[in-house]
Amino acid sequence: MADKDKLAKYRTEIQQMMFVSGETGEPTPDTTTLIESIVQDQVQHLLRECTALATRRGSKSISTDDLFMLIRHDKAKISRLRHFLQWKDVRRSVKDSDDKGGDAGADVGGEDLMAGAGAGASGPTQGPEPGKKAKRARVDLVWEVPSYYSELPPETDNDNERDEEEEEMTYATLLRLQLADLRTRNMSREEYVHWSDCRQASFTYRKGKRFKEWAGFGLITDSKPSDDIIDILGFLTFEIVQTLTEEALRVKEEGERWKKESGAAGDEMGKKRKRERGLFDPPEEAREPVQSAHVQEAYRRLQRGNNKSRAMLNFTRNVHRAALKLI
Amino acid sequence: MLPSIQRQPSRDRQHNNARFPHQPPNAIRLRTPNANLSDEAMSNASNNNNMGEGVDAIAEEDPRAALFREHYARTEARLMAVIGGSSKADEDTLSENEPKPLSDVPPTAHDARPTVTPKKPARAIDEDDYGDDDDAEEEDDTRTSPLYAKSAANGITPTALDTPSLRIPSLSSKLGIDRTNTPSSEQAKVSDDVRKKLQQDKTAAEDAAKRSYHTLFYTLENDRDAMLEQQRLDELDRQVETETSGPSGSAAPNGAPAVPQQGTLSTTNLGASSLTLKHLIARIDAQRDMVHASDAQLRSLISEVRKNRSKWANEDKIGQEELYESMEKVLMELKAGEHAHPFLQRVNKRDAPDYYTVIKHPMDIGTMMKKLKQLQYKSKKEFVDDLMLIWSNCLKYNADPAHFLRKKALYMRKETEKLIPLIPEITVRDRAEVEAEERRMQRNGDADADGAEDSEDEPIMASRGRKAPSKGNKGSSNARKAPPAGLEGTPGPEVKPTVPSINSAVSNLKNEFLRADSEMEGSVNGFATPPPGTLTPIGPNSLFRSGAPGSQADNSELDGTGASVSGLTLEGEDADLDDLEYKTWKQVTKKDRATIAAERNRLFRNDHLNPEEPALLRTKAGMRRWLRHRKQALDEATPHGAEPASDGKDASQATAGETLAEGMEGEEERQLPDYYDPVCAIPDLDERLQWTEDSQGHVIQQVEEYMRVVPKGQFIAPQSSLARKVESNMRQMQETRKVCAKIGIVKQMQLQSQMYQNQFQKYDPQPFRELDVEAMVVSEEGPVIAPYVCRAALQRSVAKIFYHAGFEEFQPSALDSVTDIAGQFFQSLVRSLGVYREAPKIKSDYPLVIPAGTPTSWQPRFSQEEAVLHALDANGVDLETLETYVKDDVERLSSKLAAMHDRMRSYYAELLRPALDQSAGPDGAGAFNDGSEQFVGGDFAEDIGEDFFGFKELGLDREFGISFSVPLHLLQNRMHSAYAAQNTNNVSTTGDIMEEPAKFEPVTIENINNQIGLVQEWFMSRLNDNNSEELIEDDDLPPKQRFPKPRLPPTGKISSPRKRPLREQQQMARKKRKLDEVKDEDGGDGPNGTSSLANKLGKPVGKLKLDMPSQKENNPEPEKDDGSAVGMISPESITVA
Repeated sequence: MADKDKLAKYRTEIQQMMFVSGETGEPTPDTTTLIESIVQDQVQHLLRECTALATRRGSKSISTDDLFMLIRHDKAKISRLRHFLQWKDVRRSVKDSDDKGGDAGADVGGEDLMAGAGAGASGPTQGPEPGKKAKRARVDLVWEVPSYYSELPPETDNDNERDEEEEEMTYATLLRLQLADLRTRNMSREEYVHWSDCRQASFTYRKGKRFKEWAGFGLITDSKPSDDIIDILGFLTFEIVQTLTEEALRVKEEGERWKKESGAAGDEMGKKRKRERGLFDPPEEAREPVQSAHVQEAYRRLQRGNNKSRAMLNFTRNVHRAALKLI
Repeated sequence: MLPSIQRQPSRDRQHNNARFPHQPPNAIRLRTPNANLSDEAMSNASNNNNMGEGVDAIAEEDPRAALFREHYARTEARLMAVIGGSSKADEDTLSENEPKPLSDVPPTAHDARPTVTPKKPARAIDEDDYGDDDDAEEEDDTRTSPLYAKSAANGITPTALDTPSLRIPSLSSKLGIDRTNTPSSEQAKVSDDVRKKLQQDKTAAEDAAKRSYHTLFYTLENDRDAMLEQQRLDELDRQVETETSGPSGSAAPNGAPAVPQQGTLSTTNLGASSLTLKHLIARIDAQRDMVHASDAQLRSLISEVRKNRSKWANEDKIGQEELYESMEKVLMELKAGEHAHPFLQRVNKRDAPDYYTVIKHPMDIGTMMKKLKQLQYKSKKEFVDDLMLIWSNCLKYNADPAHFLRKKALYMRKETEKLIPLIPEITVRDRAEVEAEERRMQRNGDADADGAEDSEDEPIMASRGRKAPSKGNKGSSNARKAPPAGLEGTPGPEVKPTVPSINSAVSNLKNEFLRADSEMEGSVNGFATPPPGTLTPIGPNSLFRSGAPGSQADNSELDGTGASVSGLTLEGEDADLDDLEYKTWKQVTKKDRATIAAERNRLFRNDHLNPEEPALLRTKAGMRRWLRHRKQALDEATPHGAEPASDGKDASQATAGETLAEGMEGEEERQLPDYYDPVCAIPDLDERLQWTEDSQGHVIQQVEEYMRVVPKGQFIAPQSSLARKVESNMRQMQETRKVCAKIGIVKQMQLQSQMYQNQFQKYDPQPFRELDVEAMVVSEEGPVIAPYVCRAALQRSVAKIFYHAGFEEFQPSALDSVTDIAGQFFQSLVRSLGVYREAPKIKSDYPLVIPAGTPTSWQPRFSQEEAVLHALDANGVDLETLETYVKDDVERLSSKLAAMHDRMRSYYAELLRPALDQSAGPDGAGAFNDGSEQFVGGDFAEDIGEDFFGFKELGLDREFGISFSVPLHLLQNRMHSAYAAQNTNNVSTTGDIMEEPAKFEPVTIENINNQIGLVQEWFMSRLNDNNSEELIEDDDLPPKQRFPKPRLPPTGKISSPRKRPLREQQQMARKKRKLDEVKDEDGGDGPNGTSSLANKLGKPVGKLKLDMPSQKENNPEPEKDDGSAVGMISPESITVA
């Protein structure tokens, strides 16, 4: 299906992601295609911006720093990404030390990134040994304190500082865990297995070539991105889909509530449908999947500019053209 | 001008209505037999002419109308003065009131003229009437019009006449006698009445003119004419003076003594006032030794107090003073008139070739002035005759009824008739004659009172060489000293003391302009005071005039055609049908306008500022006047109801100040609106703003005391807790950076084998300090808006934020652009705040009470908080963002920075002292806590892996089981010296170290003998090498020429001894070879194996051969042990060192 439809290369993945994000129904291909195009647009925009940044830096190829720079305002994301990169580094070193676990390490890495949110809830936390944790690499951002100074003191074992940095991440993580918990509370065992399988869905994982083609590597930027960048993009795409889905669900919910409150006709219709409900119908939520209109509305909402971006244009007659916002 | 034009129609209408009633009185007046005219023919001629004019009413319409208008104006002004301000007289009052003044004035004038026959009863009635009127008016008018007061010296005489009888009883009796004896006193009374009446007219006119100050604006266009006229008048004066003063210069008609004598006060001529002061003077004379004041002081004191005497006063001529004063006054008045021009000077033959054939007795005002100065008039009649002669001459010569001069002559004659009553009917008599008369009187009776008085008077009178004041004419003479009572509180023009002798002396020295100036002043200040230039001899004056540029030139230019030209212009003005009010105004203010215009003209001649000219100065009087006028205007504007208390206070204060100041100095009120004198309208400078200098000529700075200095801290960041945190963060960063710099140096030194002196700059960041602007003065409260300063302050804040964000340094362009962006952002922020704050108010449900106290149902659309929040939101800022910034980017940053600093410190410590771990504590003392011997044993050098002492090589470490290593921080001599070299400045500036010992005296050829004998030779050779120049110490050589010093490498092994110069080495090599040869030679000698040293020494001294073996034994040993010995010794030397 991905092969024959050029646009819908990630239909399954998107469906899975949406399912993880709370959409219980079967989204139509329309919806997934729309979401996919949105995500593609976002990723390409991201890459363009990164390239611009890299050029400004005087570098030909983009680096993780450029990506970080673009999403720097989302501290939770940044924090999670750093976390991920650290662990990835740890695994690489582990792999280097004994090559047999290398594959597993990488495997775990991808999984951890995607499953990071559900890690606490789903239980299977696979961390390396505590001894190795101490040596995990530090991912420093240019705007962090150590870059203030010309000398970099060696790493010490002060974890309190690090914990503090991860504070905001833990908050966001807790929120996600809570959501995931809510979604999985009433699941049966099989359902839960299915759910956690769905969590593995990724745009990038083991689909590197497809993703590169899809995202326009080679056209927009150099065709040989680093592993890290691909992984980060995978994480980001998942985030985009999730955010979009959640927002779309919210839109749908609002619409239904409005219908319920406002029109008898709408109510009538709803009741009629309810009556038609058959024995083998899927559960109620699944019955009405998110429509593409909902997704569009959600996208609109997410693209809605804030005042900050046009603050400098106040009291001028310039028309504000909002840049594409990263979700 | 505009209002006056607008008013013209109504006035014309009034004229048309008024003309008819006007005419009969005028005709009557013209028909009145003029007793004063001696020349019957002349009067006839004039009458005829007048009648002719009346007949040719159409032809003479304009002049007649002007006459009528003039008359009407005066009448109306008088009416206003009488009625008190109801200036808009409607037809009824006009017609009702009209006859009264007309009937009043001419009869009195008529009465006044037949001087010989007094009509007592009728006059008495009149007198009473007028007296009442005058009293009432005087109260009002004297205050407002000083011009009236100016002439009040004469006009006030009758009231003054009454008072002396009360005040000076001793004199009153005589007065009574005198009165009965001389009819002139009665006559004086009559003429006084007339004078008063005239004065009243004049005052009324002036008042009318003055009243219009507030309602009309007059333009300056006529000022030039006025000025030119005035200049001509002054010119005339001067001419007259020079002509008169030439012959009679010595007979200066003033009362000033030629040489003031020392001794008693009474020798000072104090004028008429000495009469009133005579008791005081006598008292002072009697107790002269008890008065602690010099004669000069006393004299000046009294002359300040006394009333001035006029220049006409003469001891020997009784009545001259009064007569001449009034005559002069009349002349001045006429001269100042609008139409006096053609009559000022003698008619030029060029202008009118046949004049002197027609006119047999030419006369002009100038000539009259001359005659006046030369005291040629003996009585009033002579004077009046001359005056009338002028007009009649004119009328006679210019027979053409349409001639413009005729009109002027008629006008002048009318003026003259009005003024003549001012002159008292006095015939100047010789003192001797009068005294004889007096003596006759005295002999007749009441000697008792007089005797006492005379005896009292004696010293003064005698010493003054003057008899008691002319008792015969005491009536008018006393009037001179009476005015103090009457003049109280009025600005007395007579008060101004003129000291002509001094003035003339000074004016002799001054140039023409100054003189002209003072004359101008004099003429303005009053008729009674003579122009100071009066006494200047003819020579300088004419000289000056001939060479005088400027206004004089202007004047002389005009001279030729002056009369006709100015006459023509005046004629043109008359034809213009000027508004009556305006005309009156012009007339009244002419002199003052001329003065002011002349002042201005002098200053701004030729369209540029003339720096040499006297500046236009503000006078106190002018300022007072201005204040008064403003107050008046305010009072008029506001209905006199509730006057604020503060205003009242001000007013009282002002009046107090006025009276005081007016009493002190003779000020002259100008008949001008305030805008003619803008300088005086400028308020006084604040005392503290004045440019004052102390005795050394330094300007006194008064800044601190009064100036509004910009409050401190406007341009520095306010002390908030956030700012404090930010600053402490920045300090933290600086400290950490210091540590960083040290780490960098240490690392670099570990890498590099060679250091350069200035390789490492000491990193010593200064703490940030915000400077406020310097003390600056602003004019008012409120924010200081100086864009560049504000921008600089913002830039500094931006820079601080940059630094706080981790940038140690940044491009100025980046700073600039960010500053601009920030500035723009704040602008839009503030603007949006303004928009929200100024949103239209909305109706509130419940009434509010605003701070002012009035309830209102409107409330602002947004509260303050709402407005701020909206403004923030409109610019993309919300509270959460701000809070996040404070929390994350400031507070958490500080903890991060602190952690970072600690890490840096520990890293640095690790680098420096590997053995000092965390437990050692900040000063390293903790390292000894475990009782270890590592510092003593010196085994820290293990980490370096250095066999410092060479013990390892020797195997000693294995032997003793210790490591002889030296810790790194003891090996830091390089590092230390590198630092020390940088820190030399610091050390030397502290001044704590010992003084450097005096340098050794360099060795030269001269002082070589002072050296030890042993080395003298060596030094000699060095000196020879050095071309006999002084030898330089090794340490002072330039670094490259220095001999390398032996140095211990880190290994501790001295690998190579000091390198010797090549020559030396060669010598050594040669010696060695020799030694070898010697050895070879001696080889066969057997047991006496010789060392090199022994050989060297032993060779020349063969006898000592026996001693050698001992040396022989010793010598090989050092040679053999050389290498090891050094190895052994060096550590000792190091440790000892």
